[in-house]
Amino acid sequence: MAKDKKYWVGLEELQENPEFIQNSKNEFAPEQSVDDFLSETELSKTSTNRRDFLKFLGFSVTAATVAACETPVIHSIPYVNKPEQITPGIPTYYASTYFDGVDYASIMVKTREGRPIHIKGNTKHGLNNGVLNARINSSVLSLYDGQRLQAPMIDGEVAEWSIVDSKVSEALQTAADKNGNITLLMGTSISPSSERVIDNFKAKYGEEVVNVVSYDPVSLYGIRKANEMTFGKSMIPSYDFSEARTIVSFDADFMNNWLLHTEYVSQYAKNRKPTGDWMSKHFHYEASLSLTGSNADVRVPLKASDEGRALVALHNEIAGKTGGSSVSVNTDDLPMNAIKMTADELIENKGRSLVISGSNDPDNQAVVNAINTLLENYGNTISTTKEIFVSQGNDSDVVALVNDMQQGKVDVLLIGSTINPAYSLPNSDAFREGLGKVGTSVSFALWQDETATLCNVISPDNHYLESWNDFYPATGHYALAQPTIGKLYNTRQYQESILAWTGDTTEYREFIKGVWREYMSGLGAEGLLFDDFWYNAVRNGSVDVQLSEMVEVPELNMNAVAASARNSAKVKSVEGYEVIMYANTGIGDGAHSTNPWLQEMPDPISKVTWDNYIAMNPADAESMGFNMHLGQELPASTATVTVNGVSETLPVVPQPGQKQGTIGIALGYGRGANEENIGKAAYRTKQYGGYDMDDDGKKIPIGTNAYRFVNVANGHMNYFVGGATIEAAGGEYPIATTQVHHTIMGRDSVLKETSLAVFKNESQDAYNKPHRLLVHEGGEMVKKDVDKIDLWADHPVEGVGHHWGMVIDLSTCIGCSACVTACHSENNVPVVGKDEVRRGRDMHWMRIDRYYSSNMSMEKGEEMGLGAIDTYREMEEPEYANPTTTFMPMMCQHCNHAPCETVCPVAATTHSNEGLNQMTYNRCIGTRYCANNCPFKVRRFNWFNYKAYDKFAEVNPSQDATARLVLNPDVTVRSRGVMEKCTMCVQRIQGGKLEAKMAGKPVQDEQITTACAEACPTNAITFGDRNDEETRVRKAESDKRHYYALEEIGVRPSVSYKVKVRNTEV
Amino acid sequence: MHKESAIRDPLILGDKSYHDITVDVVGPIENKAPRAWYILITIAGLIAIWGLGCVVYLISTGIGVWGLNKTVGWAWDITNFVWWVGIGHAGTLISAVLLLFRQKWRMAINRSAEAMTIFAVMMAALFPGIHMGRIWLAYWVLPLPNTFGSLWVNFNSPLLWDVFAISTYFSVSLVFWYIGLIPDFATIRDRMTNPLSKKIYGLLSFGWSGKAKQWTRFEEVSLVLAGLATPLVFSVHSIVSMDFATSIVPGWHTTIFPPYFVSGAVFSGFAMVLTLLLIMRKVMKLESYITVKHVEYMNIVIIVTGSIVGVAYITELFISWYSGVEYESYAFINRFSGPYFWAYWAMMTCNVVSPQLFWFKKIRTSFLATFILSIVVNIGMWFERFVIIVTSLHRDYVPSSWSMFYPTWVDIGIFIGTIGIFFTLFLLFARFFPVLALNELKTILKVSGEKYKKEDH
Repeated sequence: MAKDKKYWVGLEELQENPEFIQNSKNEFAPEQSVDDFLSETELSKTSTNRRDFLKFLGFSVTAATVAACETPVIHSIPYVNKPEQITPGIPTYYASTYFDGVDYASIMVKTREGRPIHIKGNTKHGLNNGVLNARINSSVLSLYDGQRLQAPMIDGEVAEWSIVDSKVSEALQTAADKNGNITLLMGTSISPSSERVIDNFKAKYGEEVVNVVSYDPVSLYGIRKANEMTFGKSMIPSYDFSEARTIVSFDADFMNNWLLHTEYVSQYAKNRKPTGDWMSKHFHYEASLSLTGSNADVRVPLKASDEGRALVALHNEIAGKTGGSSVSVNTDDLPMNAIKMTADELIENKGRSLVISGSNDPDNQAVVNAINTLLENYGNTISTTKEIFVSQGNDSDVVALVNDMQQGKVDVLLIGSTINPAYSLPNSDAFREGLGKVGTSVSFALWQDETATLCNVISPDNHYLESWNDFYPATGHYALAQPTIGKLYNTRQYQESILAWTGDTTEYREFIKGVWREYMSGLGAEGLLFDDFWYNAVRNGSVDVQLSEMVEVPELNMNAVAASARNSAKVKSVEGYEVIMYANTGIGDGAHSTNPWLQEMPDPISKVTWDNYIAMNPADAESMGFNMHLGQELPASTATVTVNGVSETLPVVPQPGQKQGTIGIALGYGRGANEENIGKAAYRTKQYGGYDMDDDGKKIPIGTNAYRFVNVANGHMNYFVGGATIEAAGGEYPIATTQVHHTIMGRDSVLKETSLAVFKNESQDAYNKPHRLLVHEGGEMVKKDVDKIDLWADHPVEGVGHHWGMVIDLSTCIGCSACVTACHSENNVPVVGKDEVRRGRDMHWMRIDRYYSSNMSMEKGEEMGLGAIDTYREMEEPEYANPTTTFMPMMCQHCNHAPCETVCPVAATTHSNEGLNQMTYNRCIGTRYCANNCPFKVRRFNWFNYKAYDKFAEVNPSQDATARLVLNPDVTVRSRGVMEKCTMCVQRIQGGKLEAKMAGKPVQDEQITTACAEACPTNAITFGDRNDEETRVRKAESDKRHYYALEEIGVRPSVSYKVKVRNTEV
Repeated sequence: MHKESAIRDPLILGDKSYHDITVDVVGPIENKAPRAWYILITIAGLIAIWGLGCVVYLISTGIGVWGLNKTVGWAWDITNFVWWVGIGHAGTLISAVLLLFRQKWRMAINRSAEAMTIFAVMMAALFPGIHMGRIWLAYWVLPLPNTFGSLWVNFNSPLLWDVFAISTYFSVSLVFWYIGLIPDFATIRDRMTNPLSKKIYGLLSFGWSGKAKQWTRFEEVSLVLAGLATPLVFSVHSIVSMDFATSIVPGWHTTIFPPYFVSGAVFSGFAMVLTLLLIMRKVMKLESYITVKHVEYMNIVIIVTGSIVGVAYITELFISWYSGVEYESYAFINRFSGPYFWAYWAMMTCNVVSPQLFWFKKIRTSFLATFILSIVVNIGMWFERFVIIVTSLHRDYVPSSWSMFYPTWVDIGIFIGTIGIFFTLFLLFARFFPVLALNELKTILKVSGEKYKKEDH
């Protein structure tokens, strides 16, 4: 049937249309010329006419133009001749040294394409064992401050160097000719070459004419003076905390800013592990809760004015049992129980203890020397043969200088770049007045700060990252600093300026080499070619010289000690509040108050940012009716402090642990009172951006200058003053704090802490009880460990390849927040300013939670018969008098069953097969469900366009064309509306894996570190591969103290913690 | 054939005839709008424009203009979203579920209730959109093939289920409502004399000519759509509740949420229907159609759903203690005694106490009492979502992150703006669309009208 069918193409074929037959012979359609086509009359009948044609044309042209528009192409310019060491895209590290008169550290500077972007510690060489702090690792930002002086100035006008040099040389020569007075007022300088420069300067202008005055805003002159009194030499010994089993500190903040604190922190941390042979016991007597005090095993609140008597009492207790002589002392109001306990502990560990004090009173320090002598610590934990040279500030010289200035006796005054006396001197008004009477004043400051604006000549110094320098911080250790970037501006190292005014045009680098060459043998470099020796020294950053093993026990001048003890034993407390001034962790003595990273870093104790305040015991604050709970819309009450004719109004922040009857105020704030150009971020900003102006139209400084309360007595500066009245000022002031709630609410699944006694004597269940849930198994109910219960199937690649993880040891974390600033620096985290922090929108990828203990607990509430409601309410309150403080760093836990990953609608957050929780910025549409579902609340949302919105123009470095240079090119800068969080420095992980691949070896433990782990001064944070059995992280997992936060909710974090153990009995 | 008991009160009062019904319903459309309408729509319009302005500010500047922070990522945005979606459920229940249950009394209210649903869902859909940090990429939630290697959306995420649920809900409701409107538009078209109006209503009526075959199909389609829409009443708000229930936040992570939310939705929806209809019946003189019986039946639904909601609250409180989970028990202790205790107690009094008042016949048949209580219920339901979202988020597992939430003027402005937009749309609906289901009412005239009920049959 099918074969019979015939098919036609169409009717035409069927009907045998002639036209069709004709056309069917052609394979292709007949050609028709365009002319013919266009001339066909049918066309004119179409409705497309001229107007329509123009419309189509116009549209097409526009469409083509728009399509042709591309995003602007930015050309990067490659090297024509690539420098050997620099490969674009690969960072180059240079060893250098940081010293600003307060912090000393051997550092490594990470540079990319010729500019420094990150600072880390030099773990291979240096006194500080690779330890940094928050101030040091944020200092890279100040290099790129557009408000730095860009050229020398004379009388406020930009001038040329030649003119400056001639003017200053002339003034110097004039002074020298008439046997006048040329004074160099410098911060502590530990630079042998700088000293040589000054020696040459002295030689030229006259030994009698030139004098050098050392000034430290936060002075420890008392220690030098005391050593001079008791041992006959003005020096500071070196301390070895790693040998001390008992550490007793009287207000010495040795983790923050006491002497060579970067060295002490790592020594201290060595003996804080409860699993070693022994664990050190740390006693701390202080009035204000400090960073060091919060980590002590036993903290005793003690007024600063009572410190002298307490020291004498301690001395007496020890003398009583070791056969020394006592000094009579009134022990009223002293914590005698604690002192007796301290004495007993010290005597038990004779020769293996340390008693130190942060007091600037030489008498107190002399008593300390006596105590240490009784305890035979000299020659063991304290070495006078190995001296340290920091803290050279001589308070009496400074006072004398100000007097001389006021009497017009100073002809030329040269002021160093690390100090700002017009701001920080206690008698700064007298200084300013005197400055006006100085013939020619020259400032080496980097900014037109409070002092520089009052000087005739400003000869701006280079930033330390642009400078050559050498340092001699301790006997036998020499360090170097090399520039890591050419000068950004027309500045000149102050040493070169002084050389120029001495008539020497040597480059300072060559000068340093010359000095080192002279002392090469002393530097242990015999038999080496100088150039090789120098090259290695620069490369390593420091040189160690073998010291003799001889241990000297200095002889104590008993008369001097007795005299000092009698002075210290005098009752010094007066009626009224005692005001205590302290340098906090972020701002230090004020040099860093213009650094937005440090202003935004929450104070480790109070978690307040962008302000200083009156820290007052909550009981005192309550009795005066001040606001007790601060928060976003809960401002602080303001109060006026008046003492010795100085009156300042500040907000009151209730501070648990502050000794009742005392208040603490941080130094370093209130800078720029006359709108000096000290930095964009240094002034108060308003809610929608722009500076907050006072009634006179001037910018308002951040915080208040507490140096005004510092006083000078008996030739030394006192950082506390009694007899203050505090009155409510009746106002309210918003405080920006990153943590509003301060107690752990009995949630021991988050934070686990215990005492050494329990740890050593009881089972793991007593301090690290694993969470167990009742499950139905094998027909019956069994209690199973939570980590063995899982709703989810294992990841298919579990156990294969890498699994990155982290362990944080709460026993070693001191809460210093160096990790927080390191993370900011590494990951381009935006600075959001005070208003946003107040609204709970800080962008810190990692935070340090600080918990105070509370008097109430669930057990106690039950005992007392309080209901759950009242119990919880009481548990919200921290203990007022002397709480224990615990720090818990928290960042993204990289949960293996991450609650954030399942809830993102667009799969912007996923899990990598190496165990990382990945955040894909360019996929995120910003619904914030992931942040809501994160039990640890570690995710941060970009609420605004921090790069461009004018609210952040003053505070966020990314908005400044120069400051932008600090950004890390390996990390995206996130846009508005996108979620971000800790990535475990995935850029470093990838870099490390690539390195290992190129080397052809597997990744080793410690080859890759995250910025936070690297920055941690106590190595509390350990990062590594959990799949590699040899890594520290993996080994930590079998530690008895090891636990996961919130383990019972089953999210399986990759970040884990170790129980905090305090060396106490209970 | 519908059989109604003779002793039941008539559903259409006033001795109406078929023509009367037409005139009563089409009259407001044909005649000039009363002055009150112009005043109200101006006010609503201004509020709407203010709200839209706030939205523009939000999208151009960033989510930071709201009061949210790192701990509380959702507050008024999602509260408003759930509130509006919940309100929408009444319309669908009235149109679909009551149709399947053959409740003829729904016919006087279903048209406006369904309109209310459409507008409420539109308002609701605004919030998931504007709460996104990058709304210009909102289309990424749609599973469309793309050039990213065809990157699909995350089907595990409740937010994505929301996308499907809300869009389905909106489209089905819209279709259902529109189909029901077709014969009515035809009636209007036939009565209109103004050529423009005639043309527009002609277009809207889709060529309806009232043939028997068309009516048969109409009935069948209504049944099918009702069948489609009924599960939506339960599924949509269950899915919305999963936004919370599938999370791990204490206070959110409970299995009671789907039925609790669905009852809450019907509860608030009926309250909003009552608020709107009680005004509408007076102003548009529809007292004969929306009678005290209708109000009473709706109040009974409110008692039932309100009681379920009340039982759910008590269950939650009980379980928070019984579970022994410290985070869960704290979450509830915080709710009723913490910083937001006032919101919790507002919620409890408005939602648990007020519906119970409707047990009294005097109250549930009083128009004034019903009107007041309907507003109270909606306020209570807003607070319920606020309490669930904000009090659970602001104090969850780790105490260091505890914070507070304070709304900004933009939060408040947008919320009030959506109320403005909603009323603008509803006023436009009342002016230009038939507010009663004309064709359906006519089908029950003979059995439920006063005139006919008098004759015993």
